[in-house]
Amino acid sequence: MTYVVTDNCIKCKYMDCVEVCPVDCFYEGENMLVIHPEECIDCGVCEPECPAEAILPDTQPGLESWVKLNAEYAPVWPNITIKREPPADAKIFDGIANKFDQYFSANPGQGDQVMKTNLAD
Amino acid sequence: MISSAEKLNHVSEVGIRRLVDAFYAKVRLDPELAPIFARAIPGDWQPHLTKMYAFWSSVMLTTGRYKGNPVVKHLVIPGIHPHLFERWLALFNETSSELFDDGVSEEFRAKAARIAESLKLALFYRPDRPWPPESTR
Repeated sequence: MTYVVTDNCIKCKYMDCVEVCPVDCFYEGENMLVIHPEECIDCGVCEPECPAEAILPDTQPGLESWVKLNAEYAPVWPNITIKREPPADAKIFDGIANKFDQYFSANPGQGDQVMKTNLAD
Repeated sequence: MISSAEKLNHVSEVGIRRLVDAFYAKVRLDPELAPIFARAIPGDWQPHLTKMYAFWSSVMLTTGRYKGNPVVKHLVIPGIHPHLFERWLALFNETSSELFDDGVSEEFRAKAARIAESLKLALFYRPDRPWPPESTR
């Protein structure tokens, strides 16, 4: 039992969750985040932090496809622990239903690595 | 034992320290848990206690003070067994009820139970074996 990131994260990606997660289990795609099911300890801290209310317990019915998607992409997308600026149009996309079909991107996001490189420069 | 009037009615860093200190004092006297913890923490306990203050601060006050990987930490503990989580939880619940009023105590206990269950799953769940693993006790 863990938490999963769901549809409303897509193109919103506020990233408030990554700052509060005690176990750094968020991974970043191009336009959404996912939770690594083997690292999440089910503490629930992230759920109320998400302004888009996109984080839900995987015990909630109807989330099977999101459970699968989180498990599939967490191992291949980069880890993210530092919040950045959300997309400029995040608010416009917040609340739009069924964003997955139209907007989901399987491409990895930049993760923390780019941030660290920039800081070192 | 403190009287019910003195019990803490909100979560704070001070309350978390009291809980962690009192809880691990019990752990170190517990016949089942003490040997496991003594092997995992052979020397100074303060670094562990400090880490636990940060962990519970992150979980209860969303401060982000703890950053770590508890699953990996628990994987390497010799002698760790699913039934020890029950003992851990019983002592934690007892300590939490002694220090906090019913509402706050329940908040701690609910978090602890979920985290314990997820750690247990991460450490012991195998798709080809029965769950929960009571039969292996």
